[in-house]
Amino acid sequence: MSKRMLFGLLALVLILSLAACGQPAPVEEPAPAEEAEGEEQIELRFWMHQNPAFIAANEEIIKRFEAEHPNVTIKLESFEYDLFIQTLQTSMPAGTEGDIMEMFGSWVCSYADRLAEMPESVLSYPEAKEQFYAAPLDGYYCNGKLYGLPNEFNIENGAVLVNPAMYEAAGLDYPPTWGSMTDLLSDAQQLAQSDGDVMNVSGFHFVSGDGLAFQFLAGILQRGGEYWKADGSGMDFNTPEAKETLQDMKSWVDQGVTDAFLFNGESNWVGDSFFSNQVAIGFIGPWIVPVGLEEYTDMEFDYLPIPNYAGDKHYFAADAGWGKLVSPNCEHPEMAWEFVKFATTNADNAKFWNIGTGTVPALKSVAADPTLLEETPWVEASLQVLDYGSYVGPLPDRDLFWYDIVYPHILGALQETETIDEALDAIDTESNAMFD
Amino acid sequence: MRLPVRANRSRRRNRGGGSRGQGLFVASALTPLMLYMVFWTLFPMIWAMLLSFFEYAPTRVGGPLLGLGGDNPFVGLGHFANMLSTSPEAQKFRTSLKTTLMFAFLVLPLNLAITIPLAVAIEAVKSRLKTVFRFIYFLPTVTSSVGVALIWGYLYHPQRGLFNMILKTVGLSPQIWLSNPRAFYFGVPLALWAIIFTYLWQDMGYNLVIFIAALQGIPKDFREAAVVDGANIWQVFWRVTLPLLRPTLLFVCVMTMLSSFQVFDIIQVMTENGRPQDQARVLVLDIYLSAFRFQRMGWAGAEALILFLVVLIVTVVQMRLLRTQWEY
Repeated sequence: MSKRMLFGLLALVLILSLAACGQPAPVEEPAPAEEAEGEEQIELRFWMHQNPAFIAANEEIIKRFEAEHPNVTIKLESFEYDLFIQTLQTSMPAGTEGDIMEMFGSWVCSYADRLAEMPESVLSYPEAKEQFYAAPLDGYYCNGKLYGLPNEFNIENGAVLVNPAMYEAAGLDYPPTWGSMTDLLSDAQQLAQSDGDVMNVSGFHFVSGDGLAFQFLAGILQRGGEYWKADGSGMDFNTPEAKETLQDMKSWVDQGVTDAFLFNGESNWVGDSFFSNQVAIGFIGPWIVPVGLEEYTDMEFDYLPIPNYAGDKHYFAADAGWGKLVSPNCEHPEMAWEFVKFATTNADNAKFWNIGTGTVPALKSVAADPTLLEETPWVEASLQVLDYGSYVGPLPDRDLFWYDIVYPHILGALQETETIDEALDAIDTESNAMFD
Repeated sequence: MRLPVRANRSRRRNRGGGSRGQGLFVASALTPLMLYMVFWTLFPMIWAMLLSFFEYAPTRVGGPLLGLGGDNPFVGLGHFANMLSTSPEAQKFRTSLKTTLMFAFLVLPLNLAITIPLAVAIEAVKSRLKTVFRFIYFLPTVTSSVGVALIWGYLYHPQRGLFNMILKTVGLSPQIWLSNPRAFYFGVPLALWAIIFTYLWQDMGYNLVIFIAALQGIPKDFREAAVVDGANIWQVFWRVTLPLLRPTLLFVCVMTMLSSFQVFDIIQVMTENGRPQDQARVLVLDIYLSAFRFQRMGWAGAEALILFLVVLIVTVVQMRLLRTQWEY
């Protein structure tokens, strides 16, 4: 073979390799649904984050919908959580996002420009308010427009994980009958254990990235305070109620119920450390319970109501929950909204979804359904306080507020790297900077 | 005798000195790589630089041209001016930049202090053992960074970690390695030291192999001549070996600094977004969070441009200081 032929052959191989690399992997087309006579075949893409329980629940809802609408095929595509957010951010400007998306309610207002407004013919906001709890619903209501409907009432407040074995080992009465936080803290002090200077069991682990902000806002509300300015133009944390709440939290640490250096969001996170017997009482949302039941089958634990931080009503702020929305680029918006309504307002479907995912219902009728507790008994503690929940409010950036503003500064106060006044000042300044 | 025209044509050389067929082959081989570099490196760089002059979020509908303008307004040098202000994001930027510089300028001398003597020691052993040592020390380099970070995270665990078990065994106080914002050593947070040691453990094998190869390339005559002239082992190393390693040193320093400035995965896995109290929050992590967590891509683009300039300046300085005019 001459050199010219050899070079030509190598060049051809390179070009073919490049062409092959550029070819997308062949996609197996799903078998088409039986075409109903005279009806257009519709295919919709449904985007969601990866969580096995959530995927299973949505797949069943999709199956039910497809059974009622034989001309419709809904293709579920799931993404790892962090990748889901990035995928939304890159696909939306390109107009290639899914037709229906399952998003977290507190994201909705920041994505509102890229979402379809829900037609009033599907469900108006006043009608939705009658069916859904305000806290989850208001996450989907931005600037007077409703963009979707929730499936979940995301609640971190109201109850705590409790380890009965530790109670027994400490000789304490179980189940506990906490009349107030003082009773809970008293138990926690006795349950905490240390090996020398190092705490190896936290009596009451309340310091987590999610939990601190929820407890902080609940503490303010239960003391009769507010964290929004009267005109709604920003937030106000330089209030007596905010200071009292933070002082209380600091006092818990000072009483020795936990070590804020060893037990926080980065070190011995409550969701892991409770199930490895390092925490006696852990503050976390009810969504952890099905995780614990599935992954720690040998461990006995309970999810019990937590007393009010102050006052006689368990007021708290919630940041919506997972729900369903439609893309403005969807070619079949009527059918997409039909699915959203099917999945969220139909009590059977909504209940199935909540049971499958282990979440608290956003639909009032499901929360009132006595059969719910037969399948998910642990949500009873959360159901008792749902009426006291309110939507956290129109935060420009929920994640920034929660994880980069409130959590680090409260943690700083608990670890004494900043004073309580400094922490409150910083939270106030930085949260108001979000509105600039 | 005149050669046939066809033979002349086949032997016609291009300006570079190779035949036309060779030129075609080179062009074919380089084209895919060039296309890759243009689409996946150059265009994103240009886009990031462009974004740094806008307040851009992908969730907002901007103007008709690439989504710029409209709700994603042009801010000119606004982001760069903001970096000097007292705003929360500016403070985080300056903290991240300081942490990045601290990290990079600690990693480099520590890395060299470990790898050069180790390379000299390995070079001095028998050839069979050399291979074994090279393999052992290079193994961490080819291990997944995420895996390394997870395992070292367990080693640093305050209650169950190996390091604290060792400390307790020898009668010392256990440390809260990764989550105590009040622990500082030599002015550097303990969490950052913990990450530096992890990074060194994983990264040193790469430089070690390079130094070993460089040492093998130094003619033995130089060292033998020094010994004959009465130099001891330390003098041979310091006056002969080390200066002759300078070209390699330049390469190693530049590459180590480049990768140190871009460290991300180890910190992201071992700490929660650079905590405690942003003590391990490096600039690449801040860029990632700004762009993909908080959707402030314009600000992230501006940070990325500053990082690029810092890395460029450091690299140019290194090349000026360490370049050599000789070879052997």
